[in-house]
Amino acid sequence: MVEEPDSAVVTASLDDPATFGVIFDRHGATLFRFLARRVDPAEADGLLGEVFRIAFERRTSFDPTRESARPWLYGIAANVLAKHRRAEFRRLRAMGRMAANLASTLDVAEQAVGDVEARARWARVADALAELPESERQALLLFCWEEMSYDEIATLLGVPVGTVRSRIHRSRARLRELMEFAEPSSEAEVERGRT
Amino acid sequence: MSDELDQLRRLRPDLVLPDDPVDPEVLARRKNELMADITGVPVADAWRPTPSIYPRLAYRDEMAALEFLMRAFGFTERREARMEHPAGTLAWLEVGDGVVMIGRGGEDLHGLHSPLETGKTTFMVMVYVTDIDSHYQRAVAAGARIVMGLEDMFWGDRRYEALDPEDHRWHFAERLSDIRMREAHQRNVTSSADEG
Repeated sequence: MVEEPDSAVVTASLDDPATFGVIFDRHGATLFRFLARRVDPAEADGLLGEVFRIAFERRTSFDPTRESARPWLYGIAANVLAKHRRAEFRRLRAMGRMAANLASTLDVAEQAVGDVEARARWARVADALAELPESERQALLLFCWEEMSYDEIATLLGVPVGTVRSRIHRSRARLRELMEFAEPSSEAEVERGRT
Repeated sequence: MSDELDQLRRLRPDLVLPDDPVDPEVLARRKNELMADITGVPVADAWRPTPSIYPRLAYRDEMAALEFLMRAFGFTERREARMEHPAGTLAWLEVGDGVVMIGRGGEDLHGLHSPLETGKTTFMVMVYVTDIDSHYQRAVAAGARIVMGLEDMFWGDRRYEALDPEDHRWHFAERLSDIRMREAHQRNVTSSADEG
C-alpha cells in the first residue's frame, strides 16, 4: 500500500483535475485542525474550502521536487488566515479566558498568585499575541503550536531562515516584556498586603 | 516564573479544549464542494450519515491494523477523515452502512487497550457482507487467523470468525436468504445470456 508522493498527484491533476481530490483526502483533516487552532472551528470549516480552492487554482506553482504538499498547503492557509485577523483575535481572547479557568483549577502555583492576577496575565498574553505584527505572530505560532522547525517555517512562508529566526526572537522578547511588566506590580501588592 | 513560550504553549486551543476528532462530515462536505468546483459538475452528496452506534478499537500499531483490515476484510477508509496526530492516527473504516474507528491504544487515549496489552480479547465486531465465500477466501489469503470456519447456521446466516493481528475478533456473515437470491439472480443472468 505504498502511496504515490503528493508531487506525482499534483502533476497528474494538471491533465486530470479530479485527481486533486487525493490531496484533500491526505491533508484536509490536518489543515482543518491547523485552522481550527487559529479561528473558531465553525469559521475554520469555511476557510478550509478556501485553502483548497486556492491550492487547486495555483497547483502549477507547486514545486514538484517537494514530495509532500503539506508545507505548501500550510503556506496558503497562513495567507488565508492573515485576511481573517478579527476571527483570529476572537479565538485568542476566548482561549485566554479558558486557559485562565483551566490554570486556576489545575495549577497550584497559579492559585497562589491569585485568581484575579492569573486571569489578567492570561488575558495579557492573548492580547500581546494579537498586537504582534502579522508576520511575527505567524512565525511564532507555527513554531510554538505547530511545533515546526525554523527551516520548515521558512519554506512554507517563503522567507529566509534568518528572517524566521529574527521574527521569532523579536516576538518572544515582546511577549516577555509584556509579561514582566506585570510582575513588579503584583509583588508590590503582596508587599502592601504584609504591612 | 514560567517563560513566555511555556505560557504560549498552554494557550494552544487543543490543550485548552478537549481534543476531539474532527467530525468526518465537515471534511466530506468540503471535499464534495471542492470536487464540484474542480470538475464543474455538481457532486451527488456521497456522504452517508455516521451510524448512531459504532465501535472504536485500539491497537498498538494502528497503521499496520489499518492496512490489514482493508486488505484482509475489504473495508474502505473514509480517507478524508483520517486524523494524524503525534499520539497516533485515527481512522474511519466503512463497509455497507457501518463504520468502525481505528486508533492507537493507551491510558490517556480514552483508556482503551489493544488485546495484546491486556492479554484478552474483550470485543467482537459483527459485520454483514456480500458474498461471504469470497470474503472468507480473501481473509485467509491475507493471513487472517480463522477461529470459526465458514458454516451455515440454524438462525439463517452463513458465517465465519477471524482474529486480526492484535486479537480483536471479527464475525462476518451473510444471510442465507440473500445468498439464495444472489445465486438465483446470477443463474438468470447467465441463462438469458446463453439464450441470447
